[in-house]
Amino acid sequence: MPEILCCFKWLIDESYIRASSSGELDLETVDYKLSNYDRNAIEESVRLQEEYGGTVSAITVGLPDSTKGVKDALSRGPEKAYFINDDSFENLEPSQTAAILADIISSQINYDLIICGEGSSDLYAQQVGPRLAEKLGIPCISYIQKVQIEGDRIVAEKKVEDGIEVISAPMPVLLTVLPDINTPRIPGLKDTLGASKKPVINISKDDLTVSYEAKIHTNAIIAASMERNCQKFGSETEDIANLARALAKEGVIK
Amino acid sequence: MAGVWIFAENHTQGLELLNTGRILADKTGSRLLSFLWHDHQVAEDYLACGADEVLLLPPLEESQPLEAYIPVIVDELREGDADIFLLAATLRGKDLAARIASRLDTGLCSDCISLKLDEDNTRLEMERLVFGGAGIQKVFCSSRPQMATIPPGTFEAAVPANSRREGKIRELPSSPATAVKILEKKAKERKSANIKEARRVVCVGRGIEKEEDLAMVREFAQVLGAEIACTRPVSEEMRWLPEDLCIGLSGIEIKPDLYIGLGISGQVQHVIGIRDSKIICAVNSDENAPIFDVADYGIVGDLYDVLPRLHEELGKLL
Ligand SMILES: Cc1cc2nc3c(=O)[nH]c(=O)nc-3n(C[C@H](O)[C@H](O)[C@H](O)COP(=O)(O)OP(=O)(O)OC[C@H]3O[C@@H](n4cnc5c(N)ncnc54)[C@H](O)[C@@H]3O)c2cc1C
Repeated sequence: MPEILCCFKWLIDESYIRASSSGELDLETVDYKLSNYDRNAIEESVRLQEEYGGTVSAITVGLPDSTKGVKDALSRGPEKAYFINDDSFENLEPSQTAAILADIISSQINYDLIICGEGSSDLYAQQVGPRLAEKLGIPCISYIQKVQIEGDRIVAEKKVEDGIEVISAPMPVLLTVLPDINTPRIPGLKDTLGASKKPVINISKDDLTVSYEAKIHTNAIIAASMERNCQKFGSETEDIANLARALAKEGVIK
Repeated sequence: MAGVWIFAENHTQGLELLNTGRILADKTGSRLLSFLWHDHQVAEDYLACGADEVLLLPPLEESQPLEAYIPVIVDELREGDADIFLLAATLRGKDLAARIASRLDTGLCSDCISLKLDEDNTRLEMERLVFGGAGIQKVFCSSRPQMATIPPGTFEAAVPANSRREGKIRELPSSPATAVKILEKKAKERKSANIKEARRVVCVGRGIEKEEDLAMVREFAQVLGAEIACTRPVSEEMRWLPEDLCIGLSGIEIKPDLYIGLGISGQVQHVIGIRDSKIICAVNSDENAPIFDVADYGIVGDLYDVLPRLHEELGKLL
């Protein structure tokens, strides 16, 4: 029966981000969320467990105050969580996250299957999954829309530009999932309460045995501006006629 | 022998990377080398379009995935002491890039939308979108090779030089067998070719209640001479339209003269796919929908009520 590990990230909810007057992004007054596609990763882990048995654990690397994220992840079904945290784990770049995860996973955790979201909703670099697989020396099937377990192999449908590749690989395997693989369940009150009772294994920076310097360095994050006319009309027939005329005047309807 | 290496999945992407790669190679005074696997016939074209050397990867067996090339590519980049390695940001290309970067223990700028060399012509200054497109992250890579994946269409394709260019064509060794096998390939009909060229696009979002209602939108689009597109939930969750009509971060970017969004909230991940449109027009029943902040013209109203009348009013002017 498969031992499944799903990876998740607790991050800034981009819908709260506003540009400051200086053109920088204002990241002070933001809210946090579980990265969108990691919800699909967790859901798929739990779905596979329901079908094939086994265990589901979740793992994250983040700041110590990401405990809310750990609870959120646990409320979606995993039995326990590995929480690798340190004050310095802010703005890690993908190679660092992958190195840290690989270090802890290879030394402390048994797994047959690791499931990640295809990319995180903040950086969306889509690197941690494939990099982690490389570090662990296991096959990676990325961008998958469907997965099943057949004996000791994984069979997955991978999206490519010209269609789908049905891929088979021996476990252990790492998968990165697309959002259309499932519809994540929404945790209820009971799930949320239950999550507080589940074990969380805290892992600190001192437990790491590898170095993980950043290779990609960020000089700045500026607001992507989009200047537009922003003229709003009502929905009276006169309004609609005005809009139609405005479009004609712009010369874009013919 | 440092240099610039490129890898693309098809010919057009190859030419785009050759164009950028040539500029970088000239500035750094180094060579431009292109991997080639999909069609060995175009090797000469690649030389004419700027490559100094074309590296032919032997064809793969049906059951071998593209990742089978990883060890060969990694060896080549190591031996050549590559300074820059650019890949087309296709799904397989992005996966390959991350894994090669991991093996070479180097940094990778994913979905790089702009890149230039710094004043000393040594360091690449790269830009990419973050927070769903709300922010532009400016990065550089401190290790070598400096790697980036570049979305197809970001740069113009290279054109053949007028004078004959000298260059080498070299065959690389074949790849070891992989534990990962392709059991089957299911091709899909591509629909996005038209949409990228379309001058007018009518885009539908979750404000559309049922699949049948697309008929009414299609009729409207037809009158306008527009192509139909959609948001990600419409293609990936509802599956009412094919995935390659999905506009945005994980779909495609379009640059029509006119974009009309129907029942679309205007989340940033969608909006980055339309920001090069000349005119953006939106119909949404929620007057606070973010789409109105990025639209030139908006109608606050129920699309089921507005569309027939907009159809009629535009019809009068066509
Ligand atoms: C990493 C990542 C990548 C993503 N990539 C993409 C992408 O490439 N493309 C993409 O589109 N999305 C993408 N998304 C999803 C994106 O965040 C939004 O969820 C999505 O764009 C919303 O689609 P929508 O506007 O159709 O639906 P909703 O957000 O549900 O909006 C529906 C809108 O319709 C309006 N409405 C409802 N009924 C009516 C009516 N009768 N008349 C008029 N208006 C009505 C509502 O007011 C609402 O504003 C991505 C998300 C993430 C996290």
